[in-house]
Amino acid sequence: MEKKRILVADDSETITTLLTTALESGGYLVTTATDGYETYELGKTGVFDLVILDQLMPGLLGLEVIDRWQAEGVTTPVIVLSGVDDDRTVVDSFDRGAVDFVRKPFRVPELLARVRHRLSV
Amino acid sequence: MTEVAQLATLIIFAANALLVAGLIALKTTHRIRGRQQAKRKRRYMGLVSRHIAYPNCTDPITPAMATDPAFLDAVIDVRNAVVGPEVETLRGIVDRHGVMAHQIRRLRSSFPLGRRLRAAVALAELGDETAAGVLIHHLSDREPEIRIQAAKGLGRMGWTPAIDVIVGRFATETPWVRARFADTLLGFGSAATWPLLAYITVNHRFEREGPVAAIRALAALGDDQATQTLIEVLHEATDPEVKIATVETLGALGSPRAVPVLRNQIRSPDWRIRAKTVTALGEIGDVGSLDLLARALTDSDWWVRRNAAAALAKVGGGVDRLYEALIGKDRFAADAAAESLADAGELAAARRRIGEGRPRERDMTLVGHMSGDRP
Amino acid sequence: MIGDLLGIVGEGILIYFILMQLYLAYLAARSAAVLRRSHHLGRFGRITEMLSSRTSPPVSIVIPAYNEVAGIVDSVRSMSLVRYPRLELVIVNDGSTDGTLETLVAALSLERVTIPYRGDIPTAEIRGIYRGRGATDLTVIDKANGGRGDALNAGLNAARYPYALCTDADVILDPECLMRAMQRVVEDRERTVAVGGNVRPLNGCRLELGHLVDAEVPKGIIERMQVLEYLRTFVASRPAWSDMNAHPLVSGAFGVWKRSAALAVGGFTRGHMGEDMDLTMRLHRYHADRGIPYRIVYEPSAVIWTEVPSTRRVLRRQRIRWHRGLMSAVRDFMPMTFNPRYGTLGLVTWPAMVLFEYLAPMIEAAGWLIIPLALALGTLNSSSLLWLAAIAFGVGLANSLISLMLDESYGYFNSPADASRLLTMALIENLGLRQMTVVWRIRALFGGRTVRAWGDMERRGVAGLATGP
Repeated sequence: MEKKRILVADDSETITTLLTTALESGGYLVTTATDGYETYELGKTGVFDLVILDQLMPGLLGLEVIDRWQAEGVTTPVIVLSGVDDDRTVVDSFDRGAVDFVRKPFRVPELLARVRHRLSV
Repeated sequence: MTEVAQLATLIIFAANALLVAGLIALKTTHRIRGRQQAKRKRRYMGLVSRHIAYPNCTDPITPAMATDPAFLDAVIDVRNAVVGPEVETLRGIVDRHGVMAHQIRRLRSSFPLGRRLRAAVALAELGDETAAGVLIHHLSDREPEIRIQAAKGLGRMGWTPAIDVIVGRFATETPWVRARFADTLLGFGSAATWPLLAYITVNHRFEREGPVAAIRALAALGDDQATQTLIEVLHEATDPEVKIATVETLGALGSPRAVPVLRNQIRSPDWRIRAKTVTALGEIGDVGSLDLLARALTDSDWWVRRNAAAALAKVGGGVDRLYEALIGKDRFAADAAAESLADAGELAAARRRIGEGRPRERDMTLVGHMSGDRP
Repeated sequence: MIGDLLGIVGEGILIYFILMQLYLAYLAARSAAVLRRSHHLGRFGRITEMLSSRTSPPVSIVIPAYNEVAGIVDSVRSMSLVRYPRLELVIVNDGSTDGTLETLVAALSLERVTIPYRGDIPTAEIRGIYRGRGATDLTVIDKANGGRGDALNAGLNAARYPYALCTDADVILDPECLMRAMQRVVEDRERTVAVGGNVRPLNGCRLELGHLVDAEVPKGIIERMQVLEYLRTFVASRPAWSDMNAHPLVSGAFGVWKRSAALAVGGFTRGHMGEDMDLTMRLHRYHADRGIPYRIVYEPSAVIWTEVPSTRRVLRRQRIRWHRGLMSAVRDFMPMTFNPRYGTLGLVTWPAMVLFEYLAPMIEAAGWLIIPLALALGTLNSSSLLWLAAIAFGVGLANSLISLMLDESYGYFNSPADASRLLTMALIENLGLRQMTVVWRIRALFGGRTVRAWGDMERRGVAGLATGP
């Protein structure tokens, strides 16, 4: 079976390294992006099976990236990752069609499980 | 005269030459060291990440890494990205390789500030209960930032015997340290409530800043058990800052039991207390205070009026009062009411209904007000 | 007889320069001690706790904008990445004629609203108020043109929070700068009335999406000279001023003001060419006169980046404006000079500002006339002249080198090429470049009542800087 492709977008090198390592060892192909525009451009290609998207990024905010993708008809499922602990971001994320929301700091096995679950449905 | 000038010139130019040499040396070492450290740190981050993601990972961690600051930095960065059992995994890694013992020695020594700070941060982020004794000792370190790190570490591990020591230091700490101490108390949860209350009750008549920080910490803890004591504090307090903090905290705790004592504060001559009081009543959502809040819309102070408008939006039935204020004669109250209605989503709803062709009368009033039309 | 007099005056002028450089050297030494601590704390101390703490006072960021259509949307985005818990952006459109307002309204889907606006400080007419309902709490005030100070006042009127960060639309803020500055407020909420930040030239730096990627020394010689000037000021002088609680100038490009204190002294002075120094000094005077304990501080770890003039023409205009601002401040605050009531400010830093900043161009120009004359008349011992000049040059050079050394702790400019560029600059700036600014500052003394209320920069917008000319 072909490996699933995941786009990890976060401006923190720690998070991208951690997620890349964890996901690659889990058998996924991982691409990383560190700002909003890069994420938007990469996601537009539509080659990804899942996006893990940080809310607070330079350029475009995570939620703005989702807005743009939707305007362009990109339907890749998105898990929003956020260190901002406010309910509005959570609600806004789901309102925009995000499939899941994970707060930073997070549990790695839990995030992997969420990814597995998302990619199996 | 000339000899002195010659000598001075000579010294100054020698000093300049030394400065140039020093600058070049400094730049070069910083650059080389910085690059190497960044490279190692990236490698370590990958290594640590693998250990985290797969607990049975066998990639070796060598003793050389254990004493490398870049390794510690990598572990701390990863530690801040994860929660739960992964933190234990990280602790296991650093413990097995003697990293923590090394850092404890550094914290205890009279090393330069930078190294001691790094050690304190490491213990605060990664220390387990075996480090608690060291951290308690350093709650009275001569360096404020180390005291903060010590408290943070104790809070993170929830080491409750530390609560009394931390609260006890409130009286003598600088405001910055006190603010950070108050944050660390969150780590202890409601176990910190009673020590804080005891401290506030004893001290609020004699000093200001310590009790204020303690009262704010109670708001963050959100433990309703504090309400009764705070009501008593509000009755007794004379210091305006203490009163303001208490009113705010009672609002944040949200207990209806605080309503009577809060209503008394609305008559305070101090506008700051009135302003916080209306906000607190709004947060509690006390329907019985509607008249009082509506009257506060015409308070002599602008902030009180603005806060009253915001509070009304949070109390059941308050929206009607805001619409009434919208057509009132008081221009500022009307503007405040409009702002508050918009923040509560009424403006968007009104526009939607107008768009759908079935507006209510007050929708037109609100939208009209916002676009600057005045009757 | 006249020749002797000229000789004495000539030596006096050189001694004046030596004293000036020694004063700067004292400030640098004192700054070094402050920076050393600040460096350790900045590197290892964690202040991210401020992000979730109830002890962090909320802040309004006030940004005046005049004809900023090119960069205003980018700068809103850049500012909304500033890390701080409770924050609002207040942009004041000061009667722009280039569609700044329309661009903002369209790009950020703002809607026109009324807010309970308080006219605490009178300003030019407010034409409308707009709000955004996006992720950032954003208010735009549209007003008739009244200049930078007037726009800032409108922002202070509309600000909802007790502290206002007044800055510019074309700066890049370090994401941590506000936390670093507000740490100083939390340290002493009651006394702190203003906090200044570390302003650095943006020219030559690499930017990506409103984020600084790498700090490099700019190419142009005019720009390089300013890099050195900014380092001497912000790294090697202001930490010492602040340490003595005698900070006479919280920069307009980054200043956190306690709103109630700024309002108490009537806000910024409309149409003033140095409105930042003016407000700082009025705050000093207000509190000292009434015996209210206060402090005005400078935080070296609160870093922001601003574009500095890259051509002689623009730099000349800026320096003339700065010197005129200084002239009116010297006039307005004359009674504070050498006045012990104002403590170290009244006895040391403000008199030094008058002596070494305000008077310097005149004294230097006098030196150019008198020293050659005295030499020609043979009344000035040419060897003692030479030694005095060498000392003045040597101490000045040492000050630049110490500034570069202190700046090392920030870790910018970290390539060997950068180091050699700055070192060369330190050596050659006295050979013509500084003299050029002296001529401009003397020019400021004469005529020209025309006031340019809005800066001198030709605005290209934040995004354009990365590739800008």
